[in-house]
Amino acid sequence: MRYELSVNGQTVAVDVAPDTPMLWVLRDHLDLTGTKYGCGGGYCGACTIYVDGNIARSCQTPVSTVADMAISTIEALHENHPKLVEVWEANNVPQCGYCQSGQLMAAAALLDRNDSPSDADIDAAMTGNICRCGTYTRIRAAIHEVAAYDATRKGSEEDAA
Amino acid sequence: MNIANVSRRNFLKGSGVFVLGAALPARANLPDGSITAAFEPNLFVALDTDGTVTVTSHRSEMGQGIRTAIAQVVADELDADWSRVKLAQAPGDAKYGDQNTDGSRSILMNYDRLRDAGATARLMLRQAAAAKWGVPLEEVSAENHMVAHAGSGQSADYGELAADASMLPVPEKVSRKSEAEHRFIGKPVVHVDNGDIARGKGNYGADVKLPNMATAVIVRCPWLGGGVAKVADPAPRPGLIGLEVIDPAPPAGPMFAPWGGVAVLAEDTWTALSVARELEIEWTASPNQSFGSEPLTAELKAMLESPGQTLFDIGNVDAAFDSDGQELSAVYATPFLGHMPMEPPAAVASVEDGKCQVFASVQDPQSTRGLVSQYLSMPLENVDIRVTLLGGAFGRKSKPDFVLEAVELSKRLKRPVRVQWTREDDVRHDYYHAASAQFHRAMVDEKGHPTAWLQRTAFPSITTVFSGQALMPAEWELEMGFTNLPYRVSNQRMESAGIRPGVRVGWMRSVCNIFHSFSANVFADEMAALGGRDAIEHRLEMLAEGGEMEVPGMQPPPGHAMDIGRLRHVIEKVRELSDWDRERQEGTGLGFAVHHSFRSYVAVVLEARMEAGRPRVTNSYVALDCGTHVNPDTCAAQMEGAVVFGLSLALDGEITMKDGMVEQSNFHDYPMLRMNEAPPTTVHVVPSQGRLPAGVGEPGVPPVAPALSNALFAATGTRYRSLPIRMA
Ligand code: FES
Ligand code: FES
Repeated sequence: MRYELSVNGQTVAVDVAPDTPMLWVLRDHLDLTGTKYGCGGGYCGACTIYVDGNIARSCQTPVSTVADMAISTIEALHENHPKLVEVWEANNVPQCGYCQSGQLMAAAALLDRNDSPSDADIDAAMTGNICRCGTYTRIRAAIHEVAAYDATRKGSEEDAA
Repeated sequence: MNIANVSRRNFLKGSGVFVLGAALPARANLPDGSITAAFEPNLFVALDTDGTVTVTSHRSEMGQGIRTAIAQVVADELDADWSRVKLAQAPGDAKYGDQNTDGSRSILMNYDRLRDAGATARLMLRQAAAAKWGVPLEEVSAENHMVAHAGSGQSADYGELAADASMLPVPEKVSRKSEAEHRFIGKPVVHVDNGDIARGKGNYGADVKLPNMATAVIVRCPWLGGGVAKVADPAPRPGLIGLEVIDPAPPAGPMFAPWGGVAVLAEDTWTALSVARELEIEWTASPNQSFGSEPLTAELKAMLESPGQTLFDIGNVDAAFDSDGQELSAVYATPFLGHMPMEPPAAVASVEDGKCQVFASVQDPQSTRGLVSQYLSMPLENVDIRVTLLGGAFGRKSKPDFVLEAVELSKRLKRPVRVQWTREDDVRHDYYHAASAQFHRAMVDEKGHPTAWLQRTAFPSITTVFSGQALMPAEWELEMGFTNLPYRVSNQRMESAGIRPGVRVGWMRSVCNIFHSFSANVFADEMAALGGRDAIEHRLEMLAEGGEMEVPGMQPPPGHAMDIGRLRHVIEKVRELSDWDRERQEGTGLGFAVHHSFRSYVAVVLEARMEAGRPRVTNSYVALDCGTHVNPDTCAAQMEGAVVFGLSLALDGEITMKDGMVEQSNFHDYPMLRMNEAPPTTVHVVPSQGRLPAGVGEPGVPPVAPALSNALFAATGTRYRSLPIRMA
């Protein structure tokens, strides 16, 4: 089947079976390999993408269900979340890095809807993403740091206004 | 990002939207081969005329930060501008020396060599400038990518001197910087691959794409040594290339032979996966079908009831046990474990025109090269092994069976093939960290100290993978936390026993130290409790006052004997860090463990309680002495990761086998610790610059599980002597 897709703001088309998960459409057919395969069962979050702004497990998302929706992937994340990416790098959050696309996507989604997440909010938002290397404490700290930065910036914008 | 390319091609084709077929242009970001530059004084440094320095990493990156560490060491001695340093990844080649990234020893083995590599290049740049300017060498300095002569005011960028320097003979002796002069060594430098990783551009084994590449998903026989008796042809479907039957691995001593099964070859992964799921296969029998993990554990425990092979024997343990006094004995058991690297094994191979090229996430490209050469009966020089980033490895990717699968299939298909393991394949066909059991028996004095101590350990050795006959644990396996324990008692005997398992054994991060540290640290805690003693006070008393300790069987290289003073120091540090003497909250306990492995010293305290029948760890503290360290932030990160890794195995780590088949399959039944259970971790890295460098990637793991068991005893009064820790 031929599907037209909107991926990271571009229109592309692929010819694949309807049940093909977006994970493999991205990796095999669109050469966007930043989205990772970790389990294929919805357990690990390595394959996290956004579909119409919502978090989705791309290994559980058949291409046929997202044809009219806006898909975005880790490759575009830094454009909208430069501070998050910067803090992630500067704090040496990644170890092997394989889970980190998914971690970053989940963290960005959390910060989009909650500008000052508590530890419990972080637990709730991030527990679906496994990191075998065990970078959780740094992920937590990085999320807090970005939230604090955004708060200061918002504060100073309000002061200026 | 290739979307832009897609749009461009779409424009060129003049149609509304470009439809992508299976064949895509090869990705640009393939791992490096050999580097060429204007000035290459040695294997590790290449300098271009524009001043770009390319440092070659000959060790595999799996999250331990080695690429960054190698660059730090070389760039420091070269006195380079960090922003102009790039990394290249060496292919497997004996010219680099040992490339087996295993055993936490990359820096230990290469520190001086890498320093010399950088210092040599720096000296030659100074020599080139001195000759060019006609001034004495001693008056020429080199700093931050710039060579200068103060007297004449002349200066030149490193790049400008590259061509001149390349004409000079390479000096045999160079002097290294003093510690005070270090700019990158010992500093918390940001890892070189972070930028790519955070933008989805990190290139792992599974990400490599070659022109005309096919993808294979292999349905392997559920038991080791079985093969394909019958397989029905699948219905044709778009993208499906066909099936290939892979011969069974030997049922005993399989080494790295491909595991028998049916490979589904397709133009894309999903087609291969879909067909693989529906295949109907009849398998041939194997003697391993009678294997079960539960009977194996029962057998290991039974073995502990009678004497094993004596490894160490002083005084008279038997006579001491016949005398009056308090006796304590306990049996400990640990299960099989899976490595579960986040990236399941994946390899790309292209066998063509008498040559073979491989792209894979392997820990040892050099031995992989040898194996592939042997496998294909192809001269070594025709085999090229390129190393991608490793999406975790923990020992799994030092076994290149998955590379041989790709090689075999590419040879048959006459086109490049990527073999993609599923998570289920990974869980069911791992080289497992072996199950084990230990027996400890001691006569204990009124202060809780052993006056006689009998220790027995039993486990299947990794040597059973390499030989159909091997039975007993190897000496080096026993030197991992058993014969080299730091406690000396006047009557002491150590014994071992082995058994052959019906699965492949392959050690995980920190090897036999995991179970040996578990039993020894919990037993020591039991002795302390029997004497009504504070665990840390008691442990310090069990150790010598200081000095070096001779450990049986262990022949450390010069400067690497066990230093009891350093061991004591990490214990004292973790006591302080955890505020050990604080008042405990009701139902919460602090547990302590210490272990020396990979030549490093690590002490851990965990704060834990039981919550609805499951341990909850609320805080963790780690003190590490790893000698000279290149990047203290990496050291801290490795300890943080080790706590999570150790807790994963302590809480949930258990692979079971029945009828030769593994009973788990994915993260739902072989869970990993997640964010909601990860405790805060406070790490202290002992300033130890000037000492020989030691391991960092592995030694944090062994003290974690026993610290948890001890914390739960403090919290609840129940002893947990088996892993994973489960409520009775
Ligand atoms: S790969 Fe999709 S959740 Fe694990
Ligand atoms: S960084 Fe390796 S799995 Fe998360």
